[in-house]
Amino acid sequence: MDERPFANTISQLAASPQLARDGLCFAASVQGLLRSADGGQSWTDAYQSLDLPTALPTPAIALSPTFVRDRTVFAGVLGGLLHSHDAGHTWLVAELPAPPPLVIALGLSPAYEQDGTLFAGTMEDGIFCSRDRGYHWEAWNFGLLDLNVLALAVSPAFAADETVYAAAVSGIFRSSNGGRAWRETPFSLDDAPVLSLALSPQFVEDNTLFAGTEAHGLFKSMDGGQSWVRLAPDLLRASVDAIVLSPHYPTQPHLLVLAHGELLVSRDDGRNWEPWPGSARIDQQITAVLAAGGLDEGNTLLVGMADGSTTIL
Amino acid sequence: MQFITDGKRPTSQRVVFQPRAWQGMQRGVNLIIKAVAPTLGPRPRLVALSPQFGDTEIDVYDNAGEIARRILQIRGRDADVGAMLVRDMLWRLKNQVGDGTATAAVIFGTVYNEGIHYLISGGNARRLQTHLEKGTKIILDTLSQQTRPIKGKEDLAKLAESISYDPELSRYLGEIFDIIGAYGRLEIRKGRSRQIEREYVEGMYWERGLMSRGMIADWDQLRTEFENATLLISDLEIETPQQLYPVLELALRNKIPNLIIVAAKMTDSALGFLLANKQPERFQVVAVTTPEYGKEPQAAALQDMALLTGGRAFIKVAGDTFDHVSLDDFGHARRLWADLRNFGITGGKGNPRAVRLHIQKLRQAYQYIDDPVSKEALLKRIGKLMGGSATLWIGGITEREVERRDDLARRTAAAMRSAIEEDVLPGGGSVFLECRDVLREQRDASTEPDARAAYEILLKAMETPARTIIRNAGFNDSDVMAELRLAGSGFAFDVVNETPVHMATAGIYDPAGVVKAAVFTAIHTAALALTIDVLVHHAEPEQAKPLGPTARMKL
Repeated sequence: MDERPFANTISQLAASPQLARDGLCFAASVQGLLRSADGGQSWTDAYQSLDLPTALPTPAIALSPTFVRDRTVFAGVLGGLLHSHDAGHTWLVAELPAPPPLVIALGLSPAYEQDGTLFAGTMEDGIFCSRDRGYHWEAWNFGLLDLNVLALAVSPAFAADETVYAAAVSGIFRSSNGGRAWRETPFSLDDAPVLSLALSPQFVEDNTLFAGTEAHGLFKSMDGGQSWVRLAPDLLRASVDAIVLSPHYPTQPHLLVLAHGELLVSRDDGRNWEPWPGSARIDQQITAVLAAGGLDEGNTLLVGMADGSTTIL
Repeated sequence: MQFITDGKRPTSQRVVFQPRAWQGMQRGVNLIIKAVAPTLGPRPRLVALSPQFGDTEIDVYDNAGEIARRILQIRGRDADVGAMLVRDMLWRLKNQVGDGTATAAVIFGTVYNEGIHYLISGGNARRLQTHLEKGTKIILDTLSQQTRPIKGKEDLAKLAESISYDPELSRYLGEIFDIIGAYGRLEIRKGRSRQIEREYVEGMYWERGLMSRGMIADWDQLRTEFENATLLISDLEIETPQQLYPVLELALRNKIPNLIIVAAKMTDSALGFLLANKQPERFQVVAVTTPEYGKEPQAAALQDMALLTGGRAFIKVAGDTFDHVSLDDFGHARRLWADLRNFGITGGKGNPRAVRLHIQKLRQAYQYIDDPVSKEALLKRIGKLMGGSATLWIGGITEREVERRDDLARRTAAAMRSAIEEDVLPGGGSVFLECRDVLREQRDASTEPDARAAYEILLKAMETPARTIIRNAGFNDSDVMAELRLAGSGFAFDVVNETPVHMATAGIYDPAGVVKAAVFTAIHTAALALTIDVLVHHAEPEQAKPLGPTARMKL
């Protein structure tokens, strides 16, 4: 494990689609944003060019789906949103409506290159949407009865179905018109808050999504959120902070969850679970995970810890 | 001028028996139905009503409910009973679901006329009524099997057009309902220009504003805005500045940068005290009037505001005062704005779970309320809590046009809410044609003459909407119905393109709630009307005549 410039909780990790070639990845933390050009072996302060007097808490990080070409990175921070178009060397400040929000989740349209659409979920201010690559933002919170948004998930076929899900303190909301309006899904208020969401890569066909809660484990819906089933209730009893699906799901029904600081993997669509190989040797609480190469056995994960360190498993 | 009666006895009550009762009622029923039937379909013909009460302009209508409402009485007291029966049915239906009145009228007409025909030949009215009601249930079940949800701006716009036949209005309503949903807040107002315009407001607002112009901070916009605002919610009447001391003391002690006091009334001295304590750099304070009029609506508004902002409502009738106000009593919102007419909040910091449970309860109550006024008020209340509102400004060239379009927009909006909530059915009368197979089966399986007659009547009634739409568009209904039989299931006549089309494929829909309410109301009312055997008319009112010269001399 390497020494980091900051000792603090890593909240999110993101990597270039060509991580194996360019080695670029980012780690968002309470103290700022770290950038690595060697696949997470060493890290530097990504906000160096901003010359900030104090640390800038950064709960969310997201890379453009076409990062290899446009080098675009978005960082959700306390007070708004930053965007970089040179892979995190220099940053622009996006103007979000006042008062300054705390951006806690980011979701980019898979067709970002064409539609330039991205969403920012905030604590207390709901969801902001930009349709011009992050330069201008508008709040679109019609029907979003809970403005404390903790996670966002954009449909893989967003260009066609315009579907976005938002996990909030009191449940899950769905928009089927590109974020212009939101409707409650019948996710039980008693099982909320919802901390994490993941849509099946074949969402258009299988309508499947997963939701990780703060205190009641993992849930699965196979009808776009109209009904929910709790998975492995005996094992997953506390928080599920992150969910990673295999890129080949459901053909390859592999799931990885970050459950109460531990990494658990299921190879049979959530029926049986086991610790991710090698994760048992980590004595720190894991707070973020990145599976850039998928969930095949033998693949490596980049994980972030509560003390601000990262490691490769 | 003074009047006396002519000294004759008032006319006695008049009792009318069969067959005259049927004949008279049928005359009245058919008169109203003939008056409103031309309005059914995408190419309706208009109905002109002559001016009244000193008016000079002719009123032109394309809505059966509105036409029926304007017909207050017809000649002949027997016929008037029939006419008023239909009028009442259509008006009730319009209030209930906002549309479907012409469909109900033509179905009613067929059931009633065919029913009378059967009764004259010796049928039993009570048994016929029973079987017609059984048939209604079968029809409703068949309709339920054909419903489908509607979503998306384009589909909603198509639906709006199938209700209003106004493409411009439909485009706006499609967009608005795509955003606000079934319960969202939509204000329809008479416009400021010739065009239709729409406006969206984030958050929620109430129609009461700042108590004093001195509280306006931004004189360009004529409004005041606060970020991370603190609210004190009440319906108290503030008579003296002393009543406000504990509030201001608490706010200043805790370095609260801004405060909005919601109160029913505030005297000039209290307002002056607030204005005097305003310190733009450190502490801003404004007062707005408690929204709504009347105790119940006001209490509801305060409850909602308290929930949304996580504050406490100080209620006058509960004996509340500001004497022991604490920090926990304050509500909070990310943003607040107020002008002289309205004030609103965005990002209320109440418990979202409590807000959602509250909305769920209000929605449940909405489903069970029948009274249109209470329903409207509850819908408005739910809409306020949904986090945004839309305003549709209705424009037009003449005042009459604006009024007509305003009414059309309201009717269409009501029907669209029903469609989003209760799904849609393929339009053009095709869903009624689909009911014929099951009715035929029932008829063939029945051995009782009254049952067979009832299903036969319903079979004819299920064709009437499609036939009327075709006739209204200027086509021969028999020819087109023959074409539809050949075309197959799900087809009806698209009068705009003048060809049979599969309604679902073409995206031509009607709100399921409206269709079901229309068919249920029509058949039930007609079945009941068929059991009316005797008419009893009240005595004619006493005739008054002007005083003659002799009488005037006596006075």
